[in-house]
Amino acid sequence: MATPTGAEGGTTPPGGADSADTDAGTFYECNICLDTARDPVVSMCGHLFCWPCLHQWLETRPQKQMCPVCKAGIGKDKVIPVYGRGSNNQQDPREKLPPRPAGQRSEPENQGGGFPGFGFGDGGFHMSFGIGAFPFGIFASTFNFNDGRPGPAPPGSPQNREEQFLSKVFLWVAILFIFYLLIA
Amino acid sequence: MANIAIQRIQREFKEVVKSEEVAKCSIKVELLNDSYTELKGEIAGPPDTPYEGGTFILEIKIPETYPFNPPKVKFLTRIWHPNISSVTGAICLDILKDQWAAAMTLRTVLLSLQALLSAAEPDDPQDAVVARQYKEANDIFKKTASHWTNKYAGGPNCDKDYEDKVTQLQSMGFDEHKARVSLSTCNWNVERATENLLS
Ligand SMILES: [Zn+2]
Ligand SMILES: [Zn+2]
Repeated sequence: MATPTGAEGGTTPPGGADSADTDAGTFYECNICLDTARDPVVSMCGHLFCWPCLHQWLETRPQKQMCPVCKAGIGKDKVIPVYGRGSNNQQDPREKLPPRPAGQRSEPENQGGGFPGFGFGDGGFHMSFGIGAFPFGIFASTFNFNDGRPGPAPPGSPQNREEQFLSKVFLWVAILFIFYLLIA
Repeated sequence: MANIAIQRIQREFKEVVKSEEVAKCSIKVELLNDSYTELKGEIAGPPDTPYEGGTFILEIKIPETYPFNPPKVKFLTRIWHPNISSVTGAICLDILKDQWAAAMTLRTVLLSLQALLSAAEPDDPQDAVVARQYKEANDIFKKTASHWTNKYAGGPNCDKDYEDKVTQLQSMGFDEHKARVSLSTCNWNVERATENLLS
């Protein structure tokens, strides 16, 4: 009859386990098979598994998917694959069955304004300059780089052309007015 | 048996053997066959309970699908506890059923069973008779559990009164264990226990 120490001492070492199995290595052990994790994935709760092990666990209880360690919610789309350096030498884990879920690249969060439409360069900004005091308002709107100035009339329409004409007339009037002020 | 199951048991085995609980003689696991499908567990009765001083033997069967499904565990040592059948040793414990998780090990199972001995859950009973006694006559329950621990698990507390009652029924020709079960069930009332045995 086997004794508690039977597996450790005399007989064959289990499953060809590497003898260089130090305590430090246990940090990277799969929580299911207790071996060094292969095709590792990590859950949102931070627990490490082999993908095949976790996949089988999720298949065992499809209606109640929880982390085998802490029982937090878990799922195929809620684990992150872990790619260690040099692991590319092995076969691509995604070619194996069951496929390991791919990593997801989310775009960095846009740190811009919280109020849409208040950003510079989106056209909406220039509008306020068009209705300033007489000559300066004209200056502002006319020299406003001509880009996407929001107005009621679409570019190229007769009304638009008329507006531009009027702008130019006012511009010349303004220039003459300033000239008059300078020489007066 | 599937490779992962064997490998798991082998690793867990080492874990239990190395654990501090083993050093304290609080839990123990032994292999019963070379295929790692059957094991013998042992837990010490926790201190400050009627099970203190006793050693309880468990039958552990590892299913093919381990660790994705829990091991099948039952008490081989007779025990008087609301969540363990006094007849079959079957255990009512959530982690051995739907609350099992693949990261649990033999060690955590044994420690959970030890915790169950410390904190019974009479509202989710396995043995209705024991659970009723636990709730309605807790003093008798404790003495009965302690008596069973003494008789079946090597516990130190010998209750002279209960001993005598069992002997009394034995002298009437009843089997010792059956007499003890009947007395335990009938809150150690000898007449009712006798009636119970005769019916
Ligand atoms: Zn694994
Ligand atoms: Zn977790």
